[in-house]
Amino acid sequence: MSPGNANHDLFENLRLELRRGSLILAVMASLQTEQYGYTLRKALTDHGMPIDEGTLYPLLRRLETQGLLVSEWREEDKRNKRFYRLSADGKTIFKQLLAEWQSMNSSLSGIL
Amino acid sequence: MDILESYLRAVKRCLPRAQSDDIIKELSDDLRSQIEEQQAALGRPFNDQEMMAFFKQHGDPMTVARRYRQDHRSLSLGWELIGPELFPMYLILLSFNLTLTVGAVVVVSLLIHVPITFDAFVVPVLAQILCLTVVFTILNLIRRKYPQPWYYPPAELAPMLPVSRWYSLIGLIMWATVAIWWLAVPHFPQLILGSGAVHLKLASTWHRFYVPILLLVMGSISQRVVSLLHPTWTWAVPVMRMVINTAAVPILYVLMFKSQTLVVLADGIQNTPHYEQLVEDFNGLIRWGILGPWLWMYAGISAIVYAWYSVPHLRRLIRGTRRQSAVI
Repeated sequence: MSPGNANHDLFENLRLELRRGSLILAVMASLQTEQYGYTLRKALTDHGMPIDEGTLYPLLRRLETQGLLVSEWREEDKRNKRFYRLSADGKTIFKQLLAEWQSMNSSLSGIL
Repeated sequence: MDILESYLRAVKRCLPRAQSDDIIKELSDDLRSQIEEQQAALGRPFNDQEMMAFFKQHGDPMTVARRYRQDHRSLSLGWELIGPELFPMYLILLSFNLTLTVGAVVVVSLLIHVPITFDAFVVPVLAQILCLTVVFTILNLIRRKYPQPWYYPPAELAPMLPVSRWYSLIGLIMWATVAIWWLAVPHFPQLILGSGAVHLKLASTWHRFYVPILLLVMGSISQRVVSLLHPTWTWAVPVMRMVINTAAVPILYVLMFKSQTLVVLADGIQNTPHYEQLVEDFNGLIRWGILGPWLWMYAGISAIVYAWYSVPHLRRLIRGTRRQSAVI
């Protein structure tokens, strides 16, 4: 493997690591209002956080198992869609995470 | 939307059973929404090629399913030998092969009245593990190098994929070589009999089968030529191979089980016990080795497999005919 490729791989890994935590926050923020998978994905993309469905749906499943989201299958436009929204616990944790992120962000701004 | 259904079925096969229905329902809705959006932007529905391009871009079903699997087990020795996409299939095949191997060793030992010892299992079991691991390591390397193509297209999707020119060309070279060899055999019997050609010759029975086998070989060549010239005639591969293999079954059956000797002593060679044994050995070698029931079984199994792969083409043909008659 050439040094250029190794650097690129390293950057890619670190970028993904950095993105992973922010993605959870972005998903939770978007799900303060009820949405189904596809519109959620589009909303995230429109806000500059593109995410493929292979990452989003497992993440939604995990957050639901952790009790942070609730979901419901409902028919819309003659198709069954699964709608997600934050649960009561999810809302509380989201507020805490948001505060943590804001504090980290201001610390980081100071350091940088 | 039948390509979408095929794609979803292919993804579902690689998902954990407990969650597969749920995941597929959601993935189906997501894909339908994406397709509808792109079709709306295009102002018309996708044609088959565009639909295939959409799914190709989306990723092969095994990789898509992998993203949903929590289980990311793989086989690594410093570097990845078998990735998480192939690992579950590797384990299934390995268990199947090992069970079969152990069973075969036990049965053979009982049949030939040999005590069943631990040593008897070691070599066959290690050989199975080694062979399967090497095969899957190669498959894994190919998947890593060319992640986009679909290596396991379901039968419903196969008709949409143009036949690769390389694939046709390699087949053409292989069958042309077989044809040249077969055409040369009457003039150079040593191509079959080796050094035995000094004392032996091909029997008259052989000549009855010479032309039918030549026709089968020419059929295989013509299939490759058709696929090379018209890669989009995807029906040609299963349909022509089904016909060729079906025709091969009775020919090989009569050749193997109903015909007398295939090799006799050459003119002027005195019939001694040594030469009688030589004739018997060569007949056995050709009957059970070169041609053997294996070739016959291969032709039979291939005929069934290609008949199965011909079904979607037939279905498309019927659908097309119905659509045409509806227009009229």
